[in-house]
Amino acid sequence: MSAERWKEDEVLLESLRKGSPGAVDEMLRLYQGKIFNLAMSILKNESDAEEAAQDVFMTVIRKADTFQGNSAFYSWMYRICVNTCLMRLRGKRRTDTVSIEEFMPVFTDEGMHASPMDDWSKEVERNALNEELGRMIRKYTEELSEKYRVVFVLSDVEGLSNEETAKILGLTVPAVKSRLHRARLYLREQLSRYLREGKAS
Amino acid sequence: MNCKELAYMLADYIDGSMDPQLREELDAHIAMCEPCMIFTKTFLVASDKTRQLRKEIEYKIPPEVRSRLETFVRAAALKFPEKVNEYREQVERERREKVAALLKAAIAGRLSSITALLVETHCAGCPECKEYFDGLLKASSPAAGDPPMLIDSHVTRLMESLPPGEEFFLA
Repeated sequence: MSAERWKEDEVLLESLRKGSPGAVDEMLRLYQGKIFNLAMSILKNESDAEEAAQDVFMTVIRKADTFQGNSAFYSWMYRICVNTCLMRLRGKRRTDTVSIEEFMPVFTDEGMHASPMDDWSKEVERNALNEELGRMIRKYTEELSEKYRVVFVLSDVEGLSNEETAKILGLTVPAVKSRLHRARLYLREQLSRYLREGKAS
Repeated sequence: MNCKELAYMLADYIDGSMDPQLREELDAHIAMCEPCMIFTKTFLVASDKTRQLRKEIEYKIPPEVRSRLETFVRAAALKFPEKVNEYREQVERERREKVAALLKAAIAGRLSSITALLVETHCAGCPECKEYFDGLLKASSPAAGDPPMLIDSHVTRLMESLPPGEEFFLA
């Protein structure tokens, strides 16, 4: 995370603690979009995400005074958001998710690729498909179980490092890395099927 | 290295944490194995694209959600400063009561051994506190009102250095 972000966070935290006027507006300006995005990617439902975001900001305001400062402010906030959302998911009927195993690469007993490979990298590199691809990637990640989805969103959408993601989720760095890799392998396979089908039609 | 191992090592390859020697092996394998070459290429392109399309993948907050959220949080925050002050006042009250209780226990000789030791050690290096505590014991009743600010702050720090849950006086 950039030094600038750090600086902004320091100032924000200080003013939240003092209850300075404008502190809440500043917090909303900096984090409203990010918290909503994170909540949406876990809850996949707009009104749930809205309520979760309310809870998150209230918790942050209430607890700003007791925040220890031994982790970065934004990662504390993301952690509150993840916890709030996971709590909400509990006891709720989960929306359908796919089994990630079905999308892992398949190998022969000798450890060689079991199916032929189709090179669609050139197609994807062209920017003409961008909008469509963005939509598809979002759809595919929505179909992942939240175990992988949360890691994927923090790392590849929010751009956090594996260490930061691990801290927020209370996981080890190797666990984050392995989930992230599986999510990326899954995405490669989904895109591969999508583009192959697109070609056929 | 076989194709399967290669597929799982791409995690290190992509974040640059791969051992240089392994990386050479991996590059050598890719150069000879067409499926792995294509697999790696498409894997990297898919991962790059995801990062490049972050903005498209992310959920935009709808304007009406944004404004409802702002109204809600602002209104709730307005009530907040009073709560904080209440809380702070209560903490301060409890602190003063504790200081007074400690001084009383000191006079009565009822400090817990760990607290007595802390007080003694502190007084050995702090003439102001030594004078104050000596005076207390002679007068055998606390001076009227709160102790001087310096003493007050030293005693507070002393109490804070006690392990959590440790009582500073004997029951």
